Amino acid sequence: MSVGTRGGRRAILPLTLRLALRELRGGLRGFGVFLGCIILGVAAIAGVSSISRSLTEGLAREGRAILGGDLAISFVQREPDARETAYIKRLGANAVTANLRAMARVDGPAGDAGPAAMVELKAIEDPYPLVGKLELEPASPLHDALAVRAGTPGAVAEPALFARLGVKVGDRILIGDRPVELRARLISEPDKLGGGYGFGPRLMVSTQTLRESGLIQPGSLVRWTRQVALPAGANDDAALKAVQARLEADWSKAGWQVRSRRAAAPEFERNIERFTQFLSLVGLTALLVGGVGVANATRGFVDRQRRSIAIMKSLGASGSRVVAIYLTQVMLVALAGVLIGLMVGAAAPFAAVALAGDLLPVPIIPTLAWRELALAAVYGLLTAFVFAIGPLGRARDVPASGLFRDMADADRRWPRPVYLLAMAAGLAVLVVVAIGFSYDRRIAIAFVVAAFLTFLMLRLVAMGVMAAARRLPRPRHAPARLALANIHRAGALTPSLVLSVGLGVTLLVALALVQTNIRDQLTRSVPGTAPDFYFVDIPSAQADAFAAMIDRLAPGGRFERVPMMRGRIVSINGAPAEKINAPQDVAWVLDGDRGVTFSEKPPEGSRIASGAWWPADYSGPPLVSLDQRIAKGLGLEVGGELVVNVLGREIRARVASLRAVEWRSLGINFVMIFSPNTFRGAPHTALATLRMAPDAPPGAADPVVREAAKAFPMVASLRVREALNAIDEIVGKLSWAIAGASLISLAASVLVLAGALAAGQRARLYDAVILKTLGATRGRLLLAYALEYGGLAVVTGVFGLAAGAAAGWFIVTRPMRLEFLFSWPEPLMTIVIAIVVTVALGLAGTWRVLGQSPAQRLRAN
Amino acid sequence: MAQAADRESTHDMAVALTDLQLSLGAGAARVHILKGISLNIRRGEIVSLVGPSGSGKSTLLMALAGLERPDSGSVVVAGQDLTSYGEDQLARFRGRNIGIVFQSFHLAPTMTALENVALPLELAGAADAFARAAAELAAVGLADRAGHYPAQLSGGEQQRVAVARAIVANPPLLVADEPTGNLDEATGASIIDLLFALRRERGSTLVIVTHDNNLAARCDRVIRIRSGRIDAAGADAAAEAAA
Repeated sequence: MSVGTRGGRRAILPLTLRLALRELRGGLRGFGVFLGCIILGVAAIAGVSSISRSLTEGLAREGRAILGGDLAISFVQREPDARETAYIKRLGANAVTANLRAMARVDGPAGDAGPAAMVELKAIEDPYPLVGKLELEPASPLHDALAVRAGTPGAVAEPALFARLGVKVGDRILIGDRPVELRARLISEPDKLGGGYGFGPRLMVSTQTLRESGLIQPGSLVRWTRQVALPAGANDDAALKAVQARLEADWSKAGWQVRSRRAAAPEFERNIERFTQFLSLVGLTALLVGGVGVANATRGFVDRQRRSIAIMKSLGASGSRVVAIYLTQVMLVALAGVLIGLMVGAAAPFAAVALAGDLLPVPIIPTLAWRELALAAVYGLLTAFVFAIGPLGRARDVPASGLFRDMADADRRWPRPVYLLAMAAGLAVLVVVAIGFSYDRRIAIAFVVAAFLTFLMLRLVAMGVMAAARRLPRPRHAPARLALANIHRAGALTPSLVLSVGLGVTLLVALALVQTNIRDQLTRSVPGTAPDFYFVDIPSAQADAFAAMIDRLAPGGRFERVPMMRGRIVSINGAPAEKINAPQDVAWVLDGDRGVTFSEKPPEGSRIASGAWWPADYSGPPLVSLDQRIAKGLGLEVGGELVVNVLGREIRARVASLRAVEWRSLGINFVMIFSPNTFRGAPHTALATLRMAPDAPPGAADPVVREAAKAFPMVASLRVREALNAIDEIVGKLSWAIAGASLISLAASVLVLAGALAAGQRARLYDAVILKTLGATRGRLLLAYALEYGGLAVVTGVFGLAAGAAAGWFIVTRPMRLEFLFSWPEPLMTIVIAIVVTVALGLAGTWRVLGQSPAQRLRAN
Repeated sequence: MAQAADRESTHDMAVALTDLQLSLGAGAARVHILKGISLNIRRGEIVSLVGPSGSGKSTLLMALAGLERPDSGSVVVAGQDLTSYGEDQLARFRGRNIGIVFQSFHLAPTMTALENVALPLELAGAADAFARAAAELAAVGLADRAGHYPAQLSGGEQQRVAVARAIVANPPLLVADEPTGNLDEATGASIIDLLFALRRERGSTLVIVTHDNNLAARCDRVIRIRSGRIDAAGADAAAEAAA
């Protein structure tokens, strides 16, 4: 901010502050919307980041419980051998777990196939859990619940499984070939968050039971984990790091996956960060929308202070001093708003814990996230500055001579270049901060560009509407004429109204369309090629028998199977996987083990984009074909080298081709497909899909699950519809969170709208009085205002619909890669609501204006 | 030689206006208000500007206080040519050299009487602003009202504060725009007495715009403005009246 003379800066600042504080004694009248906008935006940003930090803090503090120990060492598709076991046992106390997907079923009364459900099976060995507490209902020690009684081992399961199979505590179910007795409901499992997400409910048994079940076959997708608690006294972070380093050095080629309590749930943490960024951007949107309210409020403030400004100038205050005084006032008010917003935001995690407490599914440790709060404060102050400096710059040109005559109308000239420059500089800092501190810069940049374009477009729409209103022929109907004139006159409501209503409608329509599209794709049967079932873990020796059974149960269906193994990327072009900094949408590939397959022919649903597929009888060094988009993200091209650990063996393969994959078809496809000779002779299972015949009667799929579970207990069958329903549920919850966050932006829009309408009332008070003295009835005036607000809301709503549809189309087709379907009901409803809210808010204020007696007003003037 | 003497005399003057032309408004609404006014006011002189509404007397006052910029001609106040000054230079010049009393008082509503009076000194960077302001308030008889806000003061008291504010920086030039216009007769008279007394103490030049013939008669010189020009006949008549 430029203040006064050179060299006098030191003397000037206190005086400026002093005078600003004196001026503020007049109270904060007219700053309500200003404060509201800043508080709302800052509270949103501060709240989101505070909760996120508290979650991260909770994850860090609870890392040990989430992981089930200080370290968790996992082996995919195999158990550690004796040497490995001995080594790990030396590190500290061990607890063994094995995780796999399996079917749990109930036999019918006559031994026929009863209901079956896919479960996330977890087998444990004492002394699990090493850390944290497992809760059962009825309460009993886990060891007792899983013990063998009268020849039958016990099991515990999440309540969902009881519902799905229609069983109760004490009933028997089958896991593989082994009958088990359900002894208790599993209420909470300490290390659940560290295990990632599953499609089925948890079923827990002992490892002994698992071994007896027949589910473990060569190549079965079992994940064996040894949770390790380092000995007390040698388990601080330094000791943990040392152990990790030693493990890496001693066992780098063993194909172990080692996780530590310091990053117990990396995927979950990444999701938190991603979601936090999204919600922060929503908060920033609220702040930017609120910025319009700030600009309007500041303009009104400067207009109200014209006399004071003129007095200061007549007494020797320079123009820049005057601007500095009023900027200081505005920034002081903004600071108050920021502080209130920060308090509200910082209180959010504390409130969440106080209100929800133990009900929260994730550990939250309320934390004052100073760095994030400071960032929210910076956003708030910068936004206030950027939007206020333009209108404040006009204070500089308020003439002192106005004191000698009636104050002339507020001039609508542009502020001087120095203030436009200051605004641009503030905006640049805001953009740099928003991008610089973001989790994913690309998203932040996209947000900045989208926000800029939206503001620009809405501004152009407002200008277009005003220009059109100016050029339209004057209607003969007086209220319509008045409405039209109000739309384009100087100081009209049009820009503010178009901006707030336009942003609100755009946001709502885009959200509604994205949500309906996602739900549509998930819940309606995916058209065309999508399968009805996935079958996981079909042992290769029984694959043909399984296919024959399916053929019998689902005649005319389309059954496809491919071999499947689990593999983990070890290095890419010589660089270790953990050192590779891949973009967010690709990094998951490096996150642990992924399904890999081999094939003679390119799979359906993909085409070779570059390179060439191997010949049918290829027998050279291992080759791999990769998903083109993922290869690009990992920096791999045809000819590049990839090392993958499969079944504890490191396989070095050269990239032979890149494929464009149509993931949406939900058919079988893999990121990595190897040439068949790569795994010749290695144990593997098959992954299969089944699409029922198009003319299959409803309910035809049910026997498939039951019979398959009975005849092939080791094969997990996943109904696509059930999986999609599960995803739909998650989408539903996320949608609520997003809608909730967007409500803040909408609230800011409404605030801006209300503020603009209130400011507009002052201007039209005079009109109303004059018109009333000339014989206009209140009804006619009301009609004129309703026409003005309604007309603007309709035009803006239609624009918002188009912009929202465009945004929705972009989000659905680009980042989500889904097909876009336009649905009318929600967008139309949005427009109707926007019109009703606008007219109602507008008329609510106008009614007060119309109640004024003309005589009283005219005397006051 | 004659010209040099002329310039010297111009610089001797408290106010020297030469062929002042001033228009207000823009485009079709532009009105030519001051049409070639030349006027010298001696240091210490009390001058009243009189004339019908719309004649341009207030605009003339604004021009010589540096609040309105002329289209052409020169305004020299206290030896400084204001036409060459930038906006901020003018503001600082006013703060030190010109005290203004308005018809509507124009006190800052959020500041106390004391703060209002101190304001020009504070803006000029005076360290003892408040001590001097307090003394000035006492001089106008309002020592006990220092902590009051304008809304808590009567019209007469407000104008006294305004007078104190105008004079606190000891400006060589005082201008007053119908200072009694918003006051009843008795209060107005007491304000004028105060203004004249303070002027006499400090030897300032005083220029008053007024409709009040009695007030005009108390001035050293009456200048009559008509349609943006000095009415010579009227001026002579007033000079005679004064003599």
